[in-house]
Amino acid sequence: MNPTLERWFCRIYLMLIYTYPRPFRVRFGGEMQQVFRDRCRHVSRITGGWPVLSLALRTAADWLSTTFRERLAATNWSDVWRAARRDTSRGFIAEWSLTIVTFLFFTTTMVQAYVIPTPSMEGNLRVGDHLLVDRVAYADPGPFRGVLPYHDVARGDIVVFLYPEDIRTTYVKRVIGIPGDRLHLSGKQVIRNGRALIEPYTRHVNGDHDPYRDDFPTAPGFYTTPRGRDMFASSVRDGELVVPPGHLFVMGDNRENSADSRYWGFVPREYVMGKPLVVYWSYDAPTNELADWNAHHFLDLAQHFFSRTRWDRTLLVPHSRAAQEAGGAQ
Amino acid sequence: MSKTTPTTLLPLTPPVFHILLALADQERHGYGIMQDVADQTNGALQLGPGTLYGCLKRMLAARLVEESDERPDPNLDDQRRRYYRMTALGRRTVREEAQRLAGAVTAAKSKRLFAGSKPTAV
Repeated sequence: MNPTLERWFCRIYLMLIYTYPRPFRVRFGGEMQQVFRDRCRHVSRITGGWPVLSLALRTAADWLSTTFRERLAATNWSDVWRAARRDTSRGFIAEWSLTIVTFLFFTTTMVQAYVIPTPSMEGNLRVGDHLLVDRVAYADPGPFRGVLPYHDVARGDIVVFLYPEDIRTTYVKRVIGIPGDRLHLSGKQVIRNGRALIEPYTRHVNGDHDPYRDDFPTAPGFYTTPRGRDMFASSVRDGELVVPPGHLFVMGDNRENSADSRYWGFVPREYVMGKPLVVYWSYDAPTNELADWNAHHFLDLAQHFFSRTRWDRTLLVPHSRAAQEAGGAQ
Repeated sequence: MSKTTPTTLLPLTPPVFHILLALADQERHGYGIMQDVADQTNGALQLGPGTLYGCLKRMLAARLVEESDERPDPNLDDQRRRYYRMTALGRRTVREEAQRLAGAVTAAKSKRLFAGSKPTAV
């Protein structure tokens, strides 16, 4: 298992331990953590099969069944009965709330499931990749800075963010420019702060030349949204785009086939939700069926689960890669 | 669980039975028990941490096992690990459970459930 994933697993498991009743976790919590870490280490030495997936599923099942079992065992039901009649047993409510709140917090805040609907990151993330998104990585920890893991968004990071034109949808792209960067494209080549970038992660599918797309920024075009036009009006200086404070310039790796910052403008920093953590399932299906579930997709899934699941992509960790800068000003 | 005769505890749940079996030959820590149970059952029973310590909690309460202060290998071992050992009651209980299961297997054989297949040595 890769060490990042192992650290993550252990961190998540530590949180899960907090859902057990207090006396139980005080007595056994430390040992459970240790046993879990041993398990992770052991799993990392196994080859073949899907040891990590199997560990994750087994642990989830174990947690779900035992946390409620221990919680029920620790609940003094005569207290509950009394509490129902008179408001005395705060402990009972508090302890159960802790279990439920942690569960909700974990599933909504820490990680989120997300499916790649478009081929704009093709080459690194494929249509049908189901991702867990790490929502903690880029969250501002506020007073807990230094305690919680926190990295600011860096160039080359793959980020999941709210689409500024419609914040009900989420997009995933790669960060090309951070505040203060001067950018332009010249014949598909990105020039950042006067240096050409070597970007091994990009994919160029067709050789045609679209001046708007490949020599960005020229002038607003047909596909430029009003937000994109604002960007042209406010942030282009001497043929270069200057990323304003608190914003990011993002592009898809599939450069000729990606609706990205070139068309709809910058991503406000606070719209960044997180980074892809792991692909837990990759299924070969067309975009519209991944976007909203329907009966046909369900049937397709039942028939082709094994053949269309891209097993080689299971538990793939998408990496953020910084582009190298070639020497020489252009 | 104030009554402490083995028969009141039978039948044991599979995790409890296999944990006792794991402790029958030596004291073990949590992960050691987990590995031994997996070995006993050819990987069919993989105890998760919650199941393992939930069982140990109940087994400690029923005095089937107890915590051990001894460390079989203090040099190699992590100081924070706790070891568990089987009590005399635990040994009697697992023996009776094994006999009960042996009886059940005999009954199954008498119904010719194993007919046609050779008994395999374990």
